[in-house]
Amino acid sequence: MSAEEEENAAELKIGDEFLKAKCLMNCEVAIILDHKYEQLQQTSEDPMNQMSQVFEKSLQYVKRFSRYKNPDTVRQVREILSRYQLAEFELCVLGNLCPETVEEAIAMVPSIRSRGRGLDDDAIEKMLHDLSLIKKFD
Amino acid sequence: MFFHIVLERNMQLHPRHFGRDLRPKLVSKLMKDVEGTCSGRHGFIVAITGVENVGNGLIRDGTGFVTFPVKYQCVVFRPFKGEILEAVVTMVNKMGFFAEAGPVQIFVSNHLIPDDMEFQSGDMPNYTTSDGSVKIQKESEVRLKIIGTRVDATEIFCIGTIKDDFLGVISDPTS
Repeated sequence: MSAEEEENAAELKIGDEFLKAKCLMNCEVAIILDHKYEQLQQTSEDPMNQMSQVFEKSLQYVKRFSRYKNPDTVRQVREILSRYQLAEFELCVLGNLCPETVEEAIAMVPSIRSRGRGLDDDAIEKMLHDLSLIKKFD
Repeated sequence: MFFHIVLERNMQLHPRHFGRDLRPKLVSKLMKDVEGTCSGRHGFIVAITGVENVGNGLIRDGTGFVTFPVKYQCVVFRPFKGEILEAVVTMVNKMGFFAEAGPVQIFVSNHLIPDDMEFQSGDMPNYTTSDGSVKIQKESEVRLKIIGTRVDATEIFCIGTIKDDFLGVISDPTS
């Protein structure tokens, strides 16, 4: 279980499998699950009964904590964040938590400073500014 | 964090389903079998979003059942140590509080709640700062950091902290 012990999201140690996998922001999950829920409603008379508790809880959760509601905005957020050489995981943490200051962003995603990608404070500041602009127009 | 990943599973199908509906039968059985389950490695399987590939079936000796290797895409929720996320408080007591982030339960012990927050009992037990400006109670939304996970066969349980910079209450239900 050594892999388990070394796991630490702050240093981006989340295992190779998940590091390469596609990460989803809460707002993206909301779109996927909503779509699936609608499909279920059409094909079954009792969709509530068809859903697992895990599905139900996840849907409630992502709806409550989605920063962006509009699918176009969600796409824009991903596009903007992907300009900054972030790992998938980092991108999604930032998209989910929407930090407002550089200090807060680094506290949320400590790994953005430690990987030598030349992401200095100015770059992070600009990224947060771009994000806040989208939020305004959502 | 939620992920979109590809998983593989060997599905056993009874011979009575062999026919033109074989694939739909296989897919609906797959959904019934795996959606809502949890494993330590991949976390909670929230929803299957597509089936990539159904391999060649293999007849089981003696039973007539056929095993198909099925590759499918799904949305999973997997919490990580060190991850920061938002959660909803579900229960508060003098030991600390429980919060939920999607399917996962997180416990925050009172040692990991800032020292200036005191436990207040009553019909709405809560943790409150001495000046009363910040309050954690049922239905409060908090931002916390996961510092430990415990995995058993069907559940993942997490320990969290709000005793760090930029963690704590985001909104409380009374305001």
